[in-house]
Amino acid sequence: MRRAAGIVLWLAAVAAALAVFLLLPHLVSDFHTRDLASAGAFFIAIVGLNLLTGYTGQISLGHGALMAIGGYTTAALVVHEHWRDVWTIPLAGLAAGIVGFVVGIPALRLSGLYLALATFAFAVAMPSLLKKFSGLTGGTQGLRFLESAPFQVTGLKGTVTVFGHTTTQNHFLYYLTWGIGLLGFAVAWLIVRGRFGRAFRAIRDSEAAAASSGVNLAAYKTLAFAISGVYAGVAGSLVAIQSEIVNPLSFTVLLSILIVVGAVVGGLGSLPGLVLGALFIQYLPSIAAHVSTRQGVPEFVYGAAIIVVIILLPGGAGGLLRRLAAPLTSRLYTRP
Amino acid sequence: MRAVYWAGALLCALALAAAASGAGTSTPGVSPTEIVIGGTIPLTGVASSFRSVGLGASYYFKYVNAHGGVNHRKIRYIIKDDQYDPALTMDKTRELVEQDHVFAIFNSLGTEHNLATRPYLNAVGVPQLFVGSGGRTFGADYKQYKWTIGYQPNYLAEGTIYGREVAKTTPKASIAVLYQNDDYGNDLLAGLKHGLGKRAKQIVSKQSYNADDPEVRSQIARLKSSKANTLMIFATPQFAIQAYRFAYQLGWKPKVYVNVVASASNVMNLAVLASSKKEVEGSISIVFLKDPSDPRWAKDPGIKLYRAIMKRYKDKGTNVNDVYNVYGMSVAHTFVQALKKAGKSPTRASIMNAATHLTIKNDPFLLPGVVVRTTPNDHFPLDQARLERWHNGHWASFGGLFRVR
Repeated sequence: MRRAAGIVLWLAAVAAALAVFLLLPHLVSDFHTRDLASAGAFFIAIVGLNLLTGYTGQISLGHGALMAIGGYTTAALVVHEHWRDVWTIPLAGLAAGIVGFVVGIPALRLSGLYLALATFAFAVAMPSLLKKFSGLTGGTQGLRFLESAPFQVTGLKGTVTVFGHTTTQNHFLYYLTWGIGLLGFAVAWLIVRGRFGRAFRAIRDSEAAAASSGVNLAAYKTLAFAISGVYAGVAGSLVAIQSEIVNPLSFTVLLSILIVVGAVVGGLGSLPGLVLGALFIQYLPSIAAHVSTRQGVPEFVYGAAIIVVIILLPGGAGGLLRRLAAPLTSRLYTRP
Repeated sequence: MRAVYWAGALLCALALAAAASGAGTSTPGVSPTEIVIGGTIPLTGVASSFRSVGLGASYYFKYVNAHGGVNHRKIRYIIKDDQYDPALTMDKTRELVEQDHVFAIFNSLGTEHNLATRPYLNAVGVPQLFVGSGGRTFGADYKQYKWTIGYQPNYLAEGTIYGREVAKTTPKASIAVLYQNDDYGNDLLAGLKHGLGKRAKQIVSKQSYNADDPEVRSQIARLKSSKANTLMIFATPQFAIQAYRFAYQLGWKPKVYVNVVASASNVMNLAVLASSKKEVEGSISIVFLKDPSDPRWAKDPGIKLYRAIMKRYKDKGTNVNDVYNVYGMSVAHTFVQALKKAGKSPTRASIMNAATHLTIKNDPFLLPGVVVRTTPNDHFPLDQARLERWHNGHWASFGGLFRVR
């Protein structure tokens, strides 16, 4: 009986989320859906980072660089090989997943702050690496889809037709990004509920205990990095598709830090709050700029807002959601 | 198993597409009382010294609006800060078109930046007017990009002028070139080679920098080690000032040619402060605007108008002697003339038609004799300039008016 009530509650939550996903573009201006699409790309990267940091306990300050791998994979395929932009997304995820796996190898020997520093170095080095291989990456100027391969850009003229439905390019990007985002979310949910998730959490809570319970540390840590890399790569690819241009400035150290901020605000070790984390990093800069555009003011508001959120919501938005839902769900799950 | 259903539901959701939104038939950005235009300017970041290009234009529009506007319409000019990052230029331009519904994009600054937005603006049919870049492509490739038109003399032509001047006055010169690693720097370099003709092999060393590099010290050191006696500075103001400074620190005193984007008097004065009077003395550049700090124009009606507008409308902290304000006013003046020609109810097609049929002989902010002229087959509004030499804290122009192509 209680189990049935729990399922109904879950179904209601999922239905509400789907309704918001489908209806939101019709409630805001067409241009605004593009901002939401951009938040969707952040969301995917944050979900990936949360699997790694929130569930496996491996800190990464290098996710912006993994996004760069995805974004440049897409850009290079579109500009050099004339692939259709949306078909490059799986390959972008794969490429970043492989790089994520390689980045994960040092994580076998480094932990905590040292791992954070190593991944941070990766993020710092990425823009210079991109400039170094200018034949492939276009150097400082980057790669411009519209100029080099306009016909590979979906929605060049402002509209897109999918299965007979015509929609604006902005709406298309929204549904594409959040569709992939929700799919990625569902996959992440399955991962954390299953065997992998248990192993990840065991590693996070105590590596020694995990190892003595038969968890293969090396395999699971690098696996977490690889999965997280796939998410980051897909996110980077979507960023590139949305901007229609990539350059080293698109994937700076700041982006890596933003993703971490989004994951912390959304709630490490929980999934539902991450949407709020994504919206937070998407909209905070423009809100901060609204306060005043005087020199230094937006940055100050930005920093202050992050501090306030972290003080008020130590568990992030996910923690808040849990606390709000506790009165509803605690009775469902506690047996008499 | 439940999870599989979720995944299925999500996939279905993915496949769903929303209905298209309808579009109105009236011209966006044009109302009975207002014309809304917009553009991107690096208000902050590495190229923020170009902010006056946008601000100067905005002051001129305020002046025009205070005098009745154009056909009883006030001009609202929205400036978005792109921090000199082409990806941001793209985002902000899209915002101007899709959210602010501007009539046209006007005076957006930067070569790479306008290259990034050009295919988009041409695909959606929004005029990209009077691009703030001397990239030759903005004037030359009008057949492919019919909604785009440039403004200032193009960089290829500018480089050609320097090449010819070197070949004429110092035929034995050995030349070192500092240039920005993008279309802007490459255009100037190509022009220089073209102007030098068979003397192009006298370019003994060339060093490029990236727009987001912190400094050009090592480039200048390498250029110096080539033992060149002539230095071409094809760089934006920040890097041009550094070039003077590092050359001075290394004890290198070449004859300097500095490109027009960095030859504003206030930039040159900063270069003097950063190096020495002797280091900067004798530098050569080109000019097509009246420089407000040039004593020759103190009584000129154009510069008097300029000073009056600045006094009335300028923001706190804007330097009146900054020639980029004059540039901004000149390009705004040209826009106003085009708008007048575009008819009582201007459309995007009519403003484009007007912009390609201009003959403006009375632009108060340009050098005497410089004419803004375009035809459907000539998308280079400004193609005249004079050489100038830095002497004792001021530019002095010499030689006649060149027509540059």
